[in-house]
Amino acid sequence: MSGPRLCSRCVLPHSPPEIALDGEGVCNLCREHERRPPADPRGALLESDFVKILEAHRGKHEFDCLVMCSGGKDSTAALYYAVRRYKLKVLAFTFDHGFETEDAMANVRRAVERLDVPFLTYRSTFMHDMFARIIKTGAPAVICHVCAIWYMRLTYQMAARFDAPLIIAGWTKGQMTQQPVLTKCACNAAGPEYARMGRATAEFLAGLEGDPKYGDFPRSIESVVAQAAKKHKCLVLSPHWFLPYEVEEYVALIQKELGWQYPRLSYPAQTTNCALNFLSVHWALKHYGYTHYHVEMSKLIREGLLTRAEALAALRADFDPELLQRVARQLGCAVQDQEAA
Amino acid sequence: MPSRVLGLSAHYHDAAACLMQEGRLTAAAHEERFTRRKSDAELPLRALNYCLQEGGITAPDLDAAVFYEKPFLKFARVLIGHLRSFPRSYPSFRRALPRWLQDRLSLPLTLKSELGFSGRTYFVKHHLAHAAAAFLPSGFTEAAILTADAVGEWATLTRGRGSGSRIRVESEMCFPDSLGLLYTAVTTFLGFAAQEGEGTVMGLAAYGKPAYLDRFRAIAAARPDGSFALDQSYFDFYGEERMYTPRFVEAFGRPYAPKAEMDQRACDIAASLQALTEEILLALARDLRQRTKLDDLCLGGGVFLNCVANQRILEESGFKRIFVQPAAGDAGGAMGAAAFVSHCLWGLPRGGPLSPYLGPAFPASRCRRALAAAGLTFRELPEEKLCRETAKMLTEGLVVGWVQGRMEVGPRALGNRTILGDPRNPQMKRFLNDRVKHREEFRPFAPAVLAEEAADYFELDSPSPFMLLAPRVRPQKRAAIPAVTHEDGTARVQTVAEAENPRFYRLIKAFRELTGVPMVVNTSFNRRGEPIVCTPEDAVAVFKATAMDALVVGEFVARREEHA
Repeated sequence: MSGPRLCSRCVLPHSPPEIALDGEGVCNLCREHERRPPADPRGALLESDFVKILEAHRGKHEFDCLVMCSGGKDSTAALYYAVRRYKLKVLAFTFDHGFETEDAMANVRRAVERLDVPFLTYRSTFMHDMFARIIKTGAPAVICHVCAIWYMRLTYQMAARFDAPLIIAGWTKGQMTQQPVLTKCACNAAGPEYARMGRATAEFLAGLEGDPKYGDFPRSIESVVAQAAKKHKCLVLSPHWFLPYEVEEYVALIQKELGWQYPRLSYPAQTTNCALNFLSVHWALKHYGYTHYHVEMSKLIREGLLTRAEALAALRADFDPELLQRVARQLGCAVQDQEAA
Repeated sequence: MPSRVLGLSAHYHDAAACLMQEGRLTAAAHEERFTRRKSDAELPLRALNYCLQEGGITAPDLDAAVFYEKPFLKFARVLIGHLRSFPRSYPSFRRALPRWLQDRLSLPLTLKSELGFSGRTYFVKHHLAHAAAAFLPSGFTEAAILTADAVGEWATLTRGRGSGSRIRVESEMCFPDSLGLLYTAVTTFLGFAAQEGEGTVMGLAAYGKPAYLDRFRAIAAARPDGSFALDQSYFDFYGEERMYTPRFVEAFGRPYAPKAEMDQRACDIAASLQALTEEILLALARDLRQRTKLDDLCLGGGVFLNCVANQRILEESGFKRIFVQPAAGDAGGAMGAAAFVSHCLWGLPRGGPLSPYLGPAFPASRCRRALAAAGLTFRELPEEKLCRETAKMLTEGLVVGWVQGRMEVGPRALGNRTILGDPRNPQMKRFLNDRVKHREEFRPFAPAVLAEEAADYFELDSPSPFMLLAPRVRPQKRAAIPAVTHEDGTARVQTVAEAENPRFYRLIKAFRELTGVPMVVNTSFNRRGEPIVCTPEDAVAVFKATAMDALVVGEFVARREEHA
């Protein structure tokens, strides 16, 4: 099956005007990266930068930090580092919108038990109607983006409620925003890679104005951050931005220390994402030809932290159609609803 | 009981960090390898982050940090020196003062703000740190200790002895009488950079005759015990532009511009300086032997990176064994200071033999990604095949970059960040200097030889694992290994034992099986003016920028012809 034409260096497709391949099949983002002078090694983040931040908050609150746990390798490693490496007083936090997989939750449970840390789980079907609306209306909004806005707001609220001055996430260098370290979630929504997705999500959220259930839902991740900055002054950061370890190294560590296991089913391969993610990816590929995972992995490829072959293997999207239907049914929809809309 | 100490050297040249845990050296590295700035002098934040990570701890877990000198003593010397040379010294004083006030006199505050470390900070005198770096890892129960460098706080050279976990400095020479400063001043006179070109001058010396030795002897008036007084009318150590005065120029002729052609006069001046250095060091060592009656001698300080002088001390001073640690210069001062705190203050037992492989290693996944990201085609081979194939490439006259395991500490590549060649090839030296290293054609290359066969080729009856001895090549073998035989018939030998570096040993063994010659050319993996490579990405960058034929990183082999 032939898909969209991909950049010969990263894994982004030809998707003008934001992403355009040149005569050599290289995208504008890779060309821009190529033109930049080599990064000065003295500008790279160091673990001591992270430790300085931790030391500034240690012991001054009920918890030193709240760690966002998804059961994936990156967040489980972040939890491990927070407890064992940095000896922080940790509140582990996970949420389940009804689509978390048993494998992921088992990883979280094993980790918190072995690390013996307080564990907070938040279960809610609050977002189901919104997800269903995206499907039924055929809106090109990205389910994961909407979910991330909700999840981040919830996390800030939990950190405030349980008196934790820091939120520690498992975001990788590919999910890192600009330096210096700042309290911002994963994606640089202003980047050209996200322009169309961002616009679509923003339009969808704008349509919620006056909605009795979602009327006060934040319109963007920026508004969540801005609101949190006023209320909680909580800093969000990831140890992976500061540590030099390869993913293989910390996976081996958490497998040994915490009994962590790769989930049986996931997208991208060897990650741990919820079941709804399959549906989100399915439609993002349909609407845009790529997903936020393509963006993250392309960034990692440009930084030399991932090979293109590894990324292509991880991003192969050959889902079982029945799996997609099952997830859609949980929301009271069918996959074809969106196609028909 | 305290057991974890971070050692630091910084602010002059060659900043470095090390970590000792339970009296054992866990990690050590030069800052320049991470920042890619040769002889980087800044506080070694990247090196110390690496050391803590290697030790599996963070700064708050440390029991102490230790600095390799006493900043207030040094500041006093700098103040007095500048006052004595006023007003000539004013511009350099004006430049130096803010640095002193901002960084150098407030290390504990800096460590707190930069690392989040608020524990105890020790300061060990500079030459005591060198003495500790030389003696404590030597394996000797009792030994004489000789240290020499440019200058610490005041001392430029010390003599003393070590016994168990005690170190006693018995006498010292002080600034401005300094063998290190003399060598550096002449290095700059010959057009080379201070703190970088001293090794080049040592290599150049082999091409000259000591025609200026008497003039140098007149400048450095020796006493019977080997100590000396430098005639300061020849030097200006606080000078803005030059370390020497017009009187020095009168005595030795016009100075050389950077990158100038080295004529016979330059070679003779280098040879004379080298001869004087050897004379002084030998006299000091003989006197020390006479007074201590000990068989073992430990040498520390940057002056003892001079492998030619070390060889003469080994052969002619009367000591039976000498130990020079691989980072004999200021980077080793960090290791010495940490060892002093661990063993002499805390009483932790001294450890086993010192390994130079104390820097970072990188997993196979990182090596593979670095090669792939650079668009190189490569193959993965099991170790035996890897060594055999690399050895075969060398026999074909190819130059191979070789990056394995943990990076070396100290200025020499010792088989883990190394460029390899065939020692039998008479063209190898020229090719390496011209096309790969881009440096002067007279610079020699070193052999890495199987330890058990070293004596067949070199007049050497003790191991030289850190490439800090320069024995004569046996006359009957010189023609067989022209690429590593220097002009004066010596070679800067590294002996390689299987227990110390198994993969490098197996590579040399594979070369021996193919050729009958138990050694390879071993030169540091860098280009002129750059630090030795650290990461796989650094190695790939040098490979792509030079005429190297192949690159072996971990188990991966990439050949240039496949990318032509």
